[in-house]
Amino acid sequence: MASNPADTPPTRMLVIATLLCSYPGIDATGQAHMEYPPNTFVIPTPDPVMFPESFYLYCFEKGIDGILIASCGTDSPYEGSYAQLAARINTVYARMKERGISIRRLKLTAICSVCTKAFLKEVGEMEAVLAELGPVRGEVAAVGA
Amino acid sequence: MEADVLVVGSGIAGLQAALDLADRGYSVLVVEQEASTGGKMIALSKVFPTMDCSSCITTPRMSAVAHHDNITTWTYTDVDSIAPEGGAFSAHLTRKVRYVDEGLCIGCRLCEYACPVEVPHEFEGNMGARRAAYIPFGTAIPQKALIDIDACIYCGKCEKACPTDAIVWDQEPQAVTVAARAVVLATGFETTPLDAKKEYRGGQAANVISGLDMERLLAPNGPYGRVLRPSDGKIPDSVAYVQCAGSRDETLGVPYCSRVCCMYAIKQSMLLSGSLPLADITVYYMDIRAFGKGYEQFYQTARSMGINFVKAKVARIDEEANGDLRIRVEMIEEEGKLAEPIHDLVVLSVGLRPGDDPRRFVGVDLDQYGFVASPEPKLDATLTNLPGVVAAGTALGPKDIVDSIAEASAAATRVAVYLGPPAMAPHPPDDGLGVEVRDINAGDAVAVARPEVQRA
Amino acid sequence: MPERKAKPPKKPAPVAGQVPQAAPAVPANGKSAPKAEKVGVYVCHCGGNISDVVDVDRVATEAAQLEGVAVARHIMFMCSDEGQKAIVDDIEALGLDRVVVAACTPTLHETTFRRAVLRGGLNQYLFLPANIREQASWAHPHSPKAATEKAIALVRAAVAKARLLEPLEMVRVAAVHRALVIGGGVAGLRAALDLARQGIGVTLIEKSPFLGGRAVQLHTVFPTEDLARPLIHRLIRQVVAQSNLKILTNTEAVELAGYVGDFRATLRTTPRGVNSELSDPTAAIAACPVEVANEFDDGLSRRRAIYQPYTGSEPDMPAIDWGACTRCGACVEAVGGRGIELTGEAVETQIEAGAIVVATGFDHYEPRDGEYGYGRSPRILTLPQVDRMLDPEGPSHGRLEIDGRVPRAVAFIHCVGSRQIEGVDEPGPDGKLHAYCSRVCCTATLQAANEVRRRYPKTEIYDLYRDIRTYQKDQEPYYVDASKRGVVFMRFANDARPTVEVADAADYPLKVTVADTLTFGTAIEVPVDLVVLSVGVMPRDIAGLIDMTKAPIGSDGFLLEVHPKLRPVESAIPGLLLAGTAQAPMDISESTSAASAAAAKVTTLLAKNYVEMEPFVAKVDPSLCDGCGLCLDACHYAGAIALQDVEVEEGVIEKRAYVNPVACKGCGACVPSCPVAALDVAGWEIEQYRAMIDAITARPLEAGARS
Repeated sequence: MASNPADTPPTRMLVIATLLCSYPGIDATGQAHMEYPPNTFVIPTPDPVMFPESFYLYCFEKGIDGILIASCGTDSPYEGSYAQLAARINTVYARMKERGISIRRLKLTAICSVCTKAFLKEVGEMEAVLAELGPVRGEVAAVGA
Repeated sequence: MEADVLVVGSGIAGLQAALDLADRGYSVLVVEQEASTGGKMIALSKVFPTMDCSSCITTPRMSAVAHHDNITTWTYTDVDSIAPEGGAFSAHLTRKVRYVDEGLCIGCRLCEYACPVEVPHEFEGNMGARRAAYIPFGTAIPQKALIDIDACIYCGKCEKACPTDAIVWDQEPQAVTVAARAVVLATGFETTPLDAKKEYRGGQAANVISGLDMERLLAPNGPYGRVLRPSDGKIPDSVAYVQCAGSRDETLGVPYCSRVCCMYAIKQSMLLSGSLPLADITVYYMDIRAFGKGYEQFYQTARSMGINFVKAKVARIDEEANGDLRIRVEMIEEEGKLAEPIHDLVVLSVGLRPGDDPRRFVGVDLDQYGFVASPEPKLDATLTNLPGVVAAGTALGPKDIVDSIAEASAAATRVAVYLGPPAMAPHPPDDGLGVEVRDINAGDAVAVARPEVQRA
Repeated sequence: MPERKAKPPKKPAPVAGQVPQAAPAVPANGKSAPKAEKVGVYVCHCGGNISDVVDVDRVATEAAQLEGVAVARHIMFMCSDEGQKAIVDDIEALGLDRVVVAACTPTLHETTFRRAVLRGGLNQYLFLPANIREQASWAHPHSPKAATEKAIALVRAAVAKARLLEPLEMVRVAAVHRALVIGGGVAGLRAALDLARQGIGVTLIEKSPFLGGRAVQLHTVFPTEDLARPLIHRLIRQVVAQSNLKILTNTEAVELAGYVGDFRATLRTTPRGVNSELSDPTAAIAACPVEVANEFDDGLSRRRAIYQPYTGSEPDMPAIDWGACTRCGACVEAVGGRGIELTGEAVETQIEAGAIVVATGFDHYEPRDGEYGYGRSPRILTLPQVDRMLDPEGPSHGRLEIDGRVPRAVAFIHCVGSRQIEGVDEPGPDGKLHAYCSRVCCTATLQAANEVRRRYPKTEIYDLYRDIRTYQKDQEPYYVDASKRGVVFMRFANDARPTVEVADAADYPLKVTVADTLTFGTAIEVPVDLVVLSVGVMPRDIAGLIDMTKAPIGSDGFLLEVHPKLRPVESAIPGLLLAGTAQAPMDISESTSAASAAAAKVTTLLAKNYVEMEPFVAKVDPSLCDGCGLCLDACHYAGAIALQDVEVEEGVIEKRAYVNPVACKGCGACVPSCPVAALDVAGWEIEQYRAMIDAITARPLEAGARS
């Protein structure tokens, strides 16, 4: 975060967190008072595999500038769900491209229940991407025009 | 009054044992000598190694016990005797005088606001003040007032303020006999006295405080709302911890290790370095005993945070005119070299000794230190010499919260095995939902081994 | 059937093969259910944990202005009785229909508040948490303004979702009154006995051919100094005599299906090869031509392929080590063909169990080759090996002799494979750094050191330690005693380690060098002729079991409890309990207490004839489903979704998807597969998520506020 926050347009990040892995990991990050940017919103889910492609597009349309899917990765407690999720995200990427939304705004990653540093790293990287790309509204609007 | 199980003590071990037994279907009476449940744990700031706020872990259990259909709780009640009687126990209890009708009191605190008398608040390590008419502390359960009659000046203001006429001046102690089939002793611990070692000036010098006092200073709902030193309200720049101040010391009759002091000192040090980022924190210790799950990692984190761990024996502590404390230490790692650092607040890591002596009311065997002795310490640590009487938590010896809770559940198992299945028939509530759900697989051709080999 | 109208409205009793939907069917136009209009919002100060950073008054004030919110309050401790009472009172007085509590992480108090809501008379699933402590005040302590804005957004999102919540009922499952206990060591034995004595049927499985685990390898136990085998066999005898308890040795769980209340385990039992007709075990063993290292003596002795670890083992008969046996038949011949069977095949059985206790125990840390000289000299041993030597029934009959000579100077080195520090210690042979304290080795080391001094007063003992952790009330005397007996203590620093060199000297062929912090950190060389490595407790490799159960493990490699204080012996997998050293290093007392605690949880779970499970499973909107069956392909769980004939209108039968709420795990893999959006996971509906996104993005961001 080398640049002055006031210089860059504000952005919002959504973190989709799994109840068994990343949600407790993100809690642990807070518990340890390891700070990350406040405009980061965590929504819990049993498994991100439940979200249809349209949900991600809905988020971008509504003004979510970046989405981090903090999945359980291959540690998923649900059989086969990670492969399904990864396949779906590829389709979402295709649809994002169609709409002119940078695919860097969506990242599938795995965060475990004690992976505080990994979480900070992922948030930091997405933060850098958003600082570079700016708000999603520009992209969505450009397509709409 | 009859109950399957009488649980003596409502600290974390008593609460857990009561909940496990009640969930299993036994009727439980919890008896607590203080005016609130929660024991020592409810007074702690945060708990190691998770750093959860202590009241966040304790209050739900206090609340669950208070609301459990199978549990009756009597606070402010003394146990006078528990005697075996025809395969069960007859317990004589005294419900002490609150001067407040518990049934009428709504916990509004108007009596407390009206009371003009202020006395040192024991829940706050005597650092803050409370009124003579008071609710024991903010998170107390039950939220019922009582009157400290020794401090009361009989002005009658509380009586006028009370909206439900709950103040009862002529209340008498009530003797009650209770029949119970089994007993859980969860009588807990007391800390070793602050003034046990005269050369440490505990109880003399205002800025020599105990670990429990520091818990209150660090607690979010503590007496000052921040860490201040008691003598002059100064924010301390240099805090020292003196470990084993009341443990591992033959001369005090406490030769054993108290198990929790290393960890609470480390925890408090970490909390202090958070709230007082500029302060130096030094822990004078003999051995750091961070033996529990995740504890060593916690200790190493504290070291990496810059907390100063010095292996040393503290010979004496002297108070300077400004309230600072000069500590005479023998630096063990420097061949006994003597040093005299000055700190502005000293915390004595006081140890754990037995709480209420259960032999006062029941004939259990104690060990040489006064803790309840198990005749089967390796295989069945919660047993006592009396059939039907088990113990749990620090009544059996110093122990941290994690170990106390696990042991309380173990005690519940011991009682359940002793009693046999509870009398009440466990059936699902009559809500029409039924329990046939599992038969979905009835058609599956799974070979299921049902009856097992019966051994004679 | 007009006469049935008189009956009170009741859910139909479920019928076998026709599972009720976990959640009540949504209205026909499922996606437009009316929103709740009376939400109560409660913001917790957490005594400053939240309110020192987040402006709770503002959060509550903003919440009060939201559509559908009837009341918003901020309270010192929401989890306290006072806080809970506020919820109950408001539900009753104001007729709240949804409750949002903005406080700590739901893992701490979700059940607390659900119960409070229930006490107020609302369905417990009409409560929703907003995590403004771990994910706001604690994560952004230096940005109070932004943390407050975030908390407001989180509350808005929670309210938006809460307004769409529907009442749910727990899924109730008949419970099998049987527990599967995995592991026949002291923890498994204790748990099995406690359960069986409370009327729960138990199947106790042990991977090896013998019961007793590691504890029977000890000579005496601290601090009682009881002989270990007689002590453990006291427990074993009770277990064996217990009527509703089946013991299967040589048995592993190889498959596991089901869920709490109704697990189905496939057990594989390898034949023992020996039965009770064997009359002369000694002759059979003597006849065996195969020799392998004897694990019971930690490799200090050799045993045959047909073996018995010690006389009086349980069962008291040999077993055949199939990995070593060549099936030559010499043993069979030696006993005249009776009692030994070399042709048996492994047998698989299936059992049902309502709960599973994992008591798989630990392994000793195996030092790396060359770690403190390990493997470079027969005079560098581990503490478990020396314990075996000190055992009169051990490989050296209790004599501590190497090459026929009692050591003259012994160095014990603590913390080998424990308390390891990155950059100071190298990872163990498992590639991991063992950062934790192993809890038992300090006392075990001092016990052994004192025993050596007692038996061989001329033997010098050096004890190289970091901290002596004799923490139990009767352990300190071992430390005091060691000092009195002249054990020389040397302390190495947190970031320094002693070294062990194999020297040429005949008298003292080992040279230990330690920077002793007790004497100014001077490097001291100690010539010794025996080095004992106090190896730590290591998590045992139970990858197969972890894979089957999906039980989480912690960063230390041990099985992880849900919460060390709130639920210390429970795994995150419902119905899976932890007992003993599979969870963390523990001594025998602590293991048996943990096992009894696990038994308490099992009996509570199975005391009733049913178990209740969270209702967060998939649900179908039958008005939208057209029976295409795509969801069946997306689902990975057998029997969780099926197509069923449904009479959609009189005389018209069509296929419709239905969800079996017991087999469904609630992952939601089926949800996006549905082309008509007829599927959702109850409590986690896509429409609710969209409402949360709307709420989060409702306000324009302030300039300078970045993610």
